[in-house]
Amino acid sequence: MAQAPAVQPGTVTDRPPRSPRSLLAAAEIDTRLIGMIAALAVIWVGFNLISDGNFLTPRNLFNLSVQSASIAIMATGMVLIIVSRNIDLSVGAVLAFVGYTMAMAQTDWLPNALGLGLGHPATWIITLLFGIVVGAAIGGIHGFVVAYVGVPSFIVTLGGLLVWRGLIFRYQQGQTIAPMDPTFRLLGGGGPEAALGATLSWVLGAIICIGIGYTLIMARRRRRRYGFPLRPMWAEAAITLVSFGVVIAAVAVANAYPWPDGLAQAYAAEQGIEVPPGGFSTGIAFPVVIMLLVGLAMTYMATRRRFGRYVYAIGGNPDAAELGGINVRRTIMSTFVLMGILCAISAAIQTARLNAAVTNLGTQNELDVISAAVIGGTSFAGGIGTIPGAILGAVIMQSLRSGMLLLNVDSPSQDVVVGIVLVVAVGLDVFLRRRTAS
Amino acid sequence: MSDRRTVAFLSAVTFAIVACGGGGATTAPSAGATDAPPASEPVASTPAEGCTVGVSWNNFQEERWGKFDEPALKTAIEAGGGTYISNDAKSSAETQASNVENLISQGANVLIILAQDGTAILPSVEAAAAANVPVIAYDRLIEDPNVLYATFDNKGVGKIMAEILLGVIDAGNFAIIKGNSADANADFLRAGMTEAGIPDVGATDPAGKIVIVGEEYTDNWDPANAQTNMEQILTANDNKVDAVLSENDGMAGGVIAALEAQGLAGTVPVTGQDGDKAALNRVALGTQLVSVWKDGRELGTAAGTSAVALCANPDLASLSGTVQFDTPGGNTLTSIILDPTPVQQDNLQDVVDAAVLTQAELCAGVTAGSVTACP
Repeated sequence: MAQAPAVQPGTVTDRPPRSPRSLLAAAEIDTRLIGMIAALAVIWVGFNLISDGNFLTPRNLFNLSVQSASIAIMATGMVLIIVSRNIDLSVGAVLAFVGYTMAMAQTDWLPNALGLGLGHPATWIITLLFGIVVGAAIGGIHGFVVAYVGVPSFIVTLGGLLVWRGLIFRYQQGQTIAPMDPTFRLLGGGGPEAALGATLSWVLGAIICIGIGYTLIMARRRRRRYGFPLRPMWAEAAITLVSFGVVIAAVAVANAYPWPDGLAQAYAAEQGIEVPPGGFSTGIAFPVVIMLLVGLAMTYMATRRRFGRYVYAIGGNPDAAELGGINVRRTIMSTFVLMGILCAISAAIQTARLNAAVTNLGTQNELDVISAAVIGGTSFAGGIGTIPGAILGAVIMQSLRSGMLLLNVDSPSQDVVVGIVLVVAVGLDVFLRRRTAS
Repeated sequence: MSDRRTVAFLSAVTFAIVACGGGGATTAPSAGATDAPPASEPVASTPAEGCTVGVSWNNFQEERWGKFDEPALKTAIEAGGGTYISNDAKSSAETQASNVENLISQGANVLIILAQDGTAILPSVEAAAAANVPVIAYDRLIEDPNVLYATFDNKGVGKIMAEILLGVIDAGNFAIIKGNSADANADFLRAGMTEAGIPDVGATDPAGKIVIVGEEYTDNWDPANAQTNMEQILTANDNKVDAVLSENDGMAGGVIAALEAQGLAGTVPVTGQDGDKAALNRVALGTQLVSVWKDGRELGTAAGTSAVALCANPDLASLSGTVQFDTPGGNTLTSIILDPTPVQQDNLQDVVDAAVLTQAELCAGVTAGSVTACP
């Protein structure tokens, strides 16, 4: 669904809605998003039934959230790239290069050049910021060549894929670099220390609920001020209730996942306390918190900032955007810089999670990221795509993979299934779009 | 005007590519291929009774060949009074074909080939046979009954891993993290494990004590995929996994990261192979049980010595220490098959002595005195 302001004159609320579709239309709910959530629900319940209740457990959902985070983060940037009619094939290679750079920074350069040993409290943040700068610079190079030199993005990033992956071998002939700084490792969400814990998870949940409520109220006020049609009150109430329910359920599930037994015992002994009956709550993992923050920031930028509107305008019609006075080149370059930054964040998560930088870090991630964006409703024709959709797309892909893993399906068969799902999802999308258009 | 310029540019590029690819070797082994000075004396003047051994590397960028194999090869050849010449195919089967021709025209009496592609190299091997030049297939199989095959026992690696693991724990829930499904080595390794008594998924071993609770191929041997696979195996079995057979060190790293998140690292033994620095460090730390290491110096010495011997007598049957190896392609090759070295806590000093890594790298984060190699 387009990010353009959803003004649909046909949905004025003067007529009582009858069919489910007109109900949804009256509530102005994105039907594509609803469809994706429904698909996700089918996948989850289906796997749960086949795996004898092994899928919908707090532990598996926790795994799923951590495993989806790095792809989801990059997918939010890929949406803007594809919306503006470009493509980035280099994200996996950039991720690997930046991941290696950050690993070298914390194990070699910082200890040897600045004298900050492994475990210094500032190491993780210096490393992360350095990685983000490197990622932004790489994105900047891609973006500059695409936007100002005019080389098609497919070619630029295909070249980038080869260059950045090739350059990794300049670092110690591509040997594995391990281990990472202990604080840096928390970014990866490995182990219960790398999650918020019960109290902070509830605090985060409360903040999100307040944010949702505030956004809904402000949107209603703005609409009234400009005389736009308002959603009926029942729709507002339903949206509020459902979204609060989802947030509360998500936090409850994350908190229901107890610390692994051995770690809980060790921690309790260290603190001189007893392990509570249900164990310690793990809560929401740090990479998931990062993903939520990134998703929020990217949605804000895509829908509320001029930059985002420009991106969608360029995707809708590049010539009209140019004639309309939009600085097309700068906007395109910015999308690539943003992509580079997001790759760096994902690189930090992946290296932290694996506790190592390896040469095949991020292989085929470009395909996963593009698939997530496309399953999430992003159109290669440009101008269409949403950030929440892409995040959901990443979760759907990972759900399929980890569900099949639980069932011991081998990886070639997994690829076959994911490939078919990708094509069918986009096929359905195209079919439905054509039908609504006619 | 501009057309002419384009043509000039394109021909320059073509020339450069040709020069860097196969052509570079006609004058001398390409600079990247050898650290040491190449055989700079005119090869044509090499007397017929001298022994020139031509080595065709498939990809010298990989660290192992230059660091371990080549010095040992060279030492062995020169100790036998031979001359070492070489070139590098940079991962291209076509380049390797022309490289082999170059080595023959440079007067090589024996060829050692690390094949980029065991099938695509066959015409070159036949050309060598036509020129009466014996060929040694180095490390990788070449399906030609006339070559001498020098390698490590790959199936043995899986067997050694399993045997060492079974020496520590002989009952319980085992998980197996295999390599890429398209790579025959992944199945060779698994076959070796089976030989050592590891049952199939769903089956039980004769003693009925081992259960395989998870067995997964890993796309691209990718450690991150291995980590995800291990997480799902742990989830599906509620952490009741007692041992993990990982087919290489990189994937073992992913497996151990997954175990660490559950507080199980160090209590669940994990295998690996390659002698990766990070893995050797984990062996010292006690989170990995074993890294099976193929010592390139041994293979280099064996192949170099055989090459010099073949100069004197090209009959493969005259070599000592060979066995007959039945290949998957149905050939029987005269072979030198070396045993890989399992590296565990008690023999870590060997890899430091072999300069695989420094003591500081090996002992990073290791409690001093917990293993003998880290005093």
